[in-house]
Amino acid sequence: MPSPPGAPADDRRRRFDELYAANQHQVLGYLLRRTDNTDDAADVFAETFLIAWRRLDDLPVGQQARMWLYGTARRTLANYRRGERRRSALADRLRADLAHAYLAHAYQPPEFEGEMAEISSAFRRLPEPDRELLALVAWEGLDHGQLAAVLGCSRNAARIRLHRARRKLADELLSSQRRRSSPPHAHAYLTNGDIA
Amino acid sequence: MNPVTRISPISDAQAGMLTTPGTLTDLGHQIAATAVLGAPGRSHRRLAGRGATRRKLIIGVPAAGALAVAGLIAASLGSPGQKVGPVAIGPARAQAAVLSVTRHGGYLDVIVTNPLADARKYREEFARLGLNITLTLVPASPSLVGTLVYAATPSSIQPITAVGKCWTGGGGSVCPVGVRVPLDFKGSAQLTFGRPARPGERYETTAPVTAKGEAMHGMTFVGKTATVVISMLAARHVTVGDYWFQNARCEGVNTTRSMPGSWYVTGANPWAPGQVSLQVSKTWPARTCLGVATPVRPAPSPSPSPAA
Repeated sequence: MPSPPGAPADDRRRRFDELYAANQHQVLGYLLRRTDNTDDAADVFAETFLIAWRRLDDLPVGQQARMWLYGTARRTLANYRRGERRRSALADRLRADLAHAYLAHAYQPPEFEGEMAEISSAFRRLPEPDRELLALVAWEGLDHGQLAAVLGCSRNAARIRLHRARRKLADELLSSQRRRSSPPHAHAYLTNGDIA
Repeated sequence: MNPVTRISPISDAQAGMLTTPGTLTDLGHQIAATAVLGAPGRSHRRLAGRGATRRKLIIGVPAAGALAVAGLIAASLGSPGQKVGPVAIGPARAQAAVLSVTRHGGYLDVIVTNPLADARKYREEFARLGLNITLTLVPASPSLVGTLVYAATPSSIQPITAVGKCWTGGGGSVCPVGVRVPLDFKGSAQLTFGRPARPGERYETTAPVTAKGEAMHGMTFVGKTATVVISMLAARHVTVGDYWFQNARCEGVNTTRSMPGSWYVTGANPWAPGQVSLQVSKTWPARTCLGVATPVRPAPSPSPSPAA
């Protein structure tokens, strides 16, 4: 039965609408940056917000809610890759939109050239957890505390792991440049602290 | 500039522009229209044990052979005390109906009784009843067949749950099998039911692989070698349709090729009829990718249902 106006159900709906409006593009962007499979991106998008809707009362508020959504999207995508399926008609239109955009070349995973290709290649050679740390900082713009919230670890652990991931990327870049024996830019990244 | 920033595949703004206007907004409305167990103003009814004295209008398709799912849905009066849907059986003529619509006062109870039917027929029938309800069917692992996998509905539409129709890891056996729609319903709703998968067709929605009715029900297999588990599966005429493992870079890899029999099984999921997907690891205990929380099931209830 519908709740009367002003009842908690309406407040719940309003909170979800605000959460959705503030984060829909960010969560979709997060997913499309992690997978080339647009069907999975659409399904996981719907699943992530469905979980948020069901567990709205447990969600943190403000900016931390987005971290919760990133973490949920990350775990749900991992589960999809392991074979769990939660396909529903909910995501049908989004699936179709993304597939169409893909086919129409409105969206294609980029192919990098030159220095960018080198960075991309070095990045892809890193272990997935390191890539995720670097990406969360570089692509989603997270700080240490936010990283910790997404990954479910302490702020200090996030800081240390990020430092190691940056070092690994710098090492990968250096070694690839040594192979090419050209003047490296990786060293500069490492020493000026500007890497990832 | 941060070098990783430069290789970002797509920005948030670009991602948003890939969708047609309204798609994301409508999806948000649909999600918020799904029922939440225990949410204020919601109630859940069990199908079994309802009052037996009401007259019920049964609308269904009499079977005229196994494929008799033609769109004509005939109205007939059910006998008092008759239960509907896949849990209890109505009169003989209603057993093979694709859709059972039972009237209770100002409501219609809608239950899919033949999840093999052509979804178009349901749509036509809802239209005939003047209801803007879209019903789709997705291939589901066995314990979810015939259950409501998703419902994007306004709060005036309530799920009907039944005991023992599906089995979930955390949610027990109370599962949604239909919806109760007000007779004067003017909005739109989208319902998705699980249907059996065809041979070789991959499930699009899955229950825990050890749930009752699933390929590995009651099986203890985590930590055993692939050889042992494959042999246990063979006794049930189940094969492995897919393997998943983490490579040296902690990336999840899916493969259909055989993995070494000495690897350890860390988990499994339903994959397709007679097939499961095995998660394997070269070492036991499985190496965890330190630095990032291990992926876990995101929702406390694994039942992909609106009432979960």
